[in-house]
Amino acid sequence: MSLFLKSLKELPPFGQALGMVLDEADTGPGVAVLLPGAERLSGDAEDEVFHSGVILATIDNTAGWCIRDHPDYAEGTSMATLDLRVDFVTSASLDETLRVRAVCEGFDGDIAFVRATAETLNTKVLIATGQATFMLGTPSTPNPASPATALGGCLE
Amino acid sequence: MNKLVQVGGAAPSFALAQQQLIKMPYALFLGVSLRQGSNGLETLTADRADLIGNTNLPAMHGGVIGSLLDITGMLTLVFLKALDRSPRLIDMDIDYLRSGQARPTYGRAEIVRGGRRMANVRAVLWQDDPERPIAIGRLQFLLPKT
Repeated sequence: MSLFLKSLKELPPFGQALGMVLDEADTGPGVAVLLPGAERLSGDAEDEVFHSGVILATIDNTAGWCIRDHPDYAEGTSMATLDLRVDFVTSASLDETLRVRAVCEGFDGDIAFVRATAETLNTKVLIATGQATFMLGTPSTPNPASPATALGGCLE
Repeated sequence: MNKLVQVGGAAPSFALAQQQLIKMPYALFLGVSLRQGSNGLETLTADRADLIGNTNLPAMHGGVIGSLLDITGMLTLVFLKALDRSPRLIDMDIDYLRSGQARPTYGRAEIVRGGRRMANVRAVLWQDDPERPIAIGRLQFLLPKT
């Protein structure tokens, strides 16, 4: 995945805000992202576990990235998440680092299908699984005529 | 929206929803606040540069949108059922309908079915027009044991 590593280094602002890090040592399949636990990511001040939204956000981001890693992906193509389903299997302590892996399972024209898992880096416990569909070639510049009609919510 | 299908139960509690929000560091980090209108509970989140996923459009990160649906659904459940402990999100399904612009985002949710152990919740987010949602979510919560 050396070709696309460069563009991946450009984390979206929210990826930076959460503390996502591309797992460069990872050998696949797909793309892996690490997310170290931190107080601001907590779902419950008493339990000290990752908030479900944090896990979901990392899955969404990693899913978009793994499409760029797919051999059929044309560099620079914009994309948007159409839908995302996440099963939260169990909670993860903030003492842990999450590793989210996403694999693009199919690519047909403008649609890409992704599956993802989140596990704890050290104890290797399955935390969540996700499934997402993306549309490629969505508008990548603002549309002044109808600002709210562009599809999707996610990456470029 | 915000209707409680289940017969009986406690009256809605804004105080409990607010209490749940302030012990949720991630929701505070996103800048979520709550307000209670005539139609029930609403979440409000201001736009902020670090919530962006696509800097070209610019558009809110899909993970922020998913998180706001999650938090809106959870706090509405706490509000409507007057829960004093957090329900646990089991799974959720998000449909992204429009790009989230760099502007304030509002959220509402309703309980589609509330049982003794589970609640099925539908949440919706919008920005300028409630009739033009940017995303909808279906969420399944496990309720705290009574």
